[in-house]
Amino acid sequence: MFPGLSFILSYTLYAEWLSRKTVARLQNRVGPLHTGWQGILQPIADYIKLLVKEDITPAAAEATVFNIVPVFIFAIPLAATFLIPIQSITTLWGYEPVAAFEGDLIMVLFLMSLTVLAVFLAGWSSGNLFGAIGATRVAFMMLAYEIPLGLVAISPAIMARSLSIVKIVDWQVASVQSFLANPTLPGFLLGVVLFIGFAIYTVCLLAELEMRPFDMSEAETEIVHGWQVEYSGVKLALLNSGHDVKMVLAAGLLTSLYLGGPVGPILPPVVWFIIKTSFCVLILSNLSALFARFRIDQMVTGAWKYLVPLAVLQVMATVALSGVI
Amino acid sequence: MAMERELLKNAFSKPATLIYPFEKPEIPEGLRGKHEYEQEKCIGCGLCARVCPSFAIEIMGGPGPKMTGLKINLGMCLFCGQCEEVCPRDCLRLTTEYELAVLNKEDGILNFPREPPAPKPAPKKEE
Amino acid sequence: MSDRQFVIPIGPQHPALKEPESFYFTVDGETVIDVEPRIGYNHRGIEKAMEVRNYTQNLYITERVCGICSNAHQTAYTGSVEEAGGIEIPERAKYIRVFMQELERLHSHLLWLGVAAHEIGFDTLFYYVWRDREIVMNLLEEISGNRCNYAMPTIGGVRRDLNKDNFPRWTKLIDTVYERTEYYIKIASTEQTILDRAIGVGYLGKSDMIKLSGAGPNARCSGVPCDIRKTTPYLVYDQLDFEHIVVDNGDVLGQVLVRALEVLESCKILKQVMDTIPEGEIKTKFGPLNKVAEGEAAYLVEAQRGELIHYTISDGKNMPFRHKIRAPTLANLPSLVERLKGGYIADIPIVLAGIDPCFSCTDRMVFYDEGKDKSWSWDETQLRKYRKEWFEK
Repeated sequence: MFPGLSFILSYTLYAEWLSRKTVARLQNRVGPLHTGWQGILQPIADYIKLLVKEDITPAAAEATVFNIVPVFIFAIPLAATFLIPIQSITTLWGYEPVAAFEGDLIMVLFLMSLTVLAVFLAGWSSGNLFGAIGATRVAFMMLAYEIPLGLVAISPAIMARSLSIVKIVDWQVASVQSFLANPTLPGFLLGVVLFIGFAIYTVCLLAELEMRPFDMSEAETEIVHGWQVEYSGVKLALLNSGHDVKMVLAAGLLTSLYLGGPVGPILPPVVWFIIKTSFCVLILSNLSALFARFRIDQMVTGAWKYLVPLAVLQVMATVALSGVI
Repeated sequence: MAMERELLKNAFSKPATLIYPFEKPEIPEGLRGKHEYEQEKCIGCGLCARVCPSFAIEIMGGPGPKMTGLKINLGMCLFCGQCEEVCPRDCLRLTTEYELAVLNKEDGILNFPREPPAPKPAPKKEE
Repeated sequence: MSDRQFVIPIGPQHPALKEPESFYFTVDGETVIDVEPRIGYNHRGIEKAMEVRNYTQNLYITERVCGICSNAHQTAYTGSVEEAGGIEIPERAKYIRVFMQELERLHSHLLWLGVAAHEIGFDTLFYYVWRDREIVMNLLEEISGNRCNYAMPTIGGVRRDLNKDNFPRWTKLIDTVYERTEYYIKIASTEQTILDRAIGVGYLGKSDMIKLSGAGPNARCSGVPCDIRKTTPYLVYDQLDFEHIVVDNGDVLGQVLVRALEVLESCKILKQVMDTIPEGEIKTKFGPLNKVAEGEAAYLVEAQRGELIHYTISDGKNMPFRHKIRAPTLANLPSLVERLKGGYIADIPIVLAGIDPCFSCTDRMVFYDEGKDKSWSWDETQLRKYRKEWFEK
């Protein structure tokens, strides 16, 4: 089970707590406080509360789709996290994920996109006008961020000459060690290019996770919770859980592709995984608290005017440097 | 990105939240809270009941010396302070007690009893 | 209505609206084609309630017309009753009334700034602004005893005095609010995400605004100079030095700028009042059950949202014969409809919040039957009956 379901699920609770506490402190508030030490049990309390609430299926909704989709939204990102290297069960210093094969990077990207389809179905089958608007907005958003996301995810793979996440992490460890031993100009340029990729990837992940400034699909003041509007009780608990698992998945991908994976001196990989993903969650929460919400047309035009060209340039630079290094 | 410095500054300073009920706020003196009644000074004029905007004050017993008590319904009270202002003998006052939540409506009705004043002895006729 | 158009109901309960009001938006994709407002959800029969209570009780009824503009309503009510009855108030009372009105303007505009930030999704700014608004709320509590519904004006003057020893401390607090508002103006003009959501959104030009008779900051952001404190000064505003804030933007950014700059002007006025307030009595003798002489008067006040009119007819008793309230949001509703047309769904909350709607003030309904020479307001049961009949038509 470790590092499988139990670790990921408890880690998502921690990640949600960290995100809420960070956003609260940035806004000069306290955040969760009374449940456990500094509110660390707050996510569990929220789930338990949702589980005992009444679960209503509206009469106008497509019942089968409406009921089955939350399970998909929860299960698909969870399956994708099994491909992220966290900790190996056999050796203390290894970090093979639960399942690894050549091309699992593409598999992860595909699973993230499948989640978006499930979200669209969730909103569309609600039978509610606001849900339908939220669902269409989610589909629009995917048009905007999918291309840059894929491009900058591929660029470390180009350097590592492999599409397996574990091999990308291995390459990062090796290249950092060789760079520290022998700094060269192409190595330095590669660092800059990869930093730009990190920035673009963070922005695209904000859009994927539907956090501010890209949360127009769940805009509370405009469309009253968007595609989630008709969900309650157990199904809403599954949706919230799925959202947190997506955040852990995003942070995990960010560390594995750009921050060197769960590798570091002295401590075992799982601890480094927690440290690095916490850092990613901090950055995501900080950006989320910093901006207002964009309009959907502004987001799509902005993405195609700025993000896509930058991502293309970044990939081309990576290809050029990969020939040199 | 314009607000990043402000965000970080706030992240490392004390939160603005007052963790009530473990921390209480500072209350100014003039806060209009629960009523306080001095029955010795009251003359039973009934002005407080006549100026209350929500008819929350009721004079029990009758006007003047026959008055046996004052009944104030805190659920209807606006805490405007007009009864305090209009009282000619300054016997009805608003204190600063503001934690007035109750679990059933009867607890929200304040009953202030009043001893009717002893009847004055008849003046002795001049011989 | 073509196939792609459908009707979205926003309200009466919606997170975008702070008070219940119903708007039916006809949209095509994401573009708003038409708006139909339905008002009346907050009708409480206040004008009728005022006819059966004496003038002192009515002070507190007017206060509760609206929680945010409560002092404006009380100022206008006492002004109209005093003018109708020929009651003079001392100078110090006038200064104190101005002080309370400007404090309320501070708190209301800061509230609006936070709510507008919340409507565009910028919760961080919302929390910061409301944290700074707490300074004003604590000051109000210290002066008047309550954080809203301060009940300071009374017929003949004001109820509580301002203690001069507190003035230095209050000046420091007001300076803090001044600095924070300057910072928020800087943010609003430089933060790209805010500018993206505010520039060009809900635009209405000057001539349209004059035609649709907007009021208050809503009109001043489109270039119409209509501040009652400058055009027809009341109380002591003609002796105070402050600017008439008018901008030409006409969009949501204009609304933000007008209100934020008005906060700065209010801070200046508050400091001037504290410097120049004369000594003296704070109220003339007017017993709580006194009768008011016969007469009628209308009194205009620059409330936070615009021009507020209170009209009193007194017939010599201690209860008003008739009292009519015209709230500024009623005047702003037609311009709101024009602002919303042609925008996106995503702009609806911010444009709605942009005119600073206060629907609690708005819903007053009076019927005047000329033939029978009778005027009355409806209570709730009659309102329901009318609605049922209207829908079945």
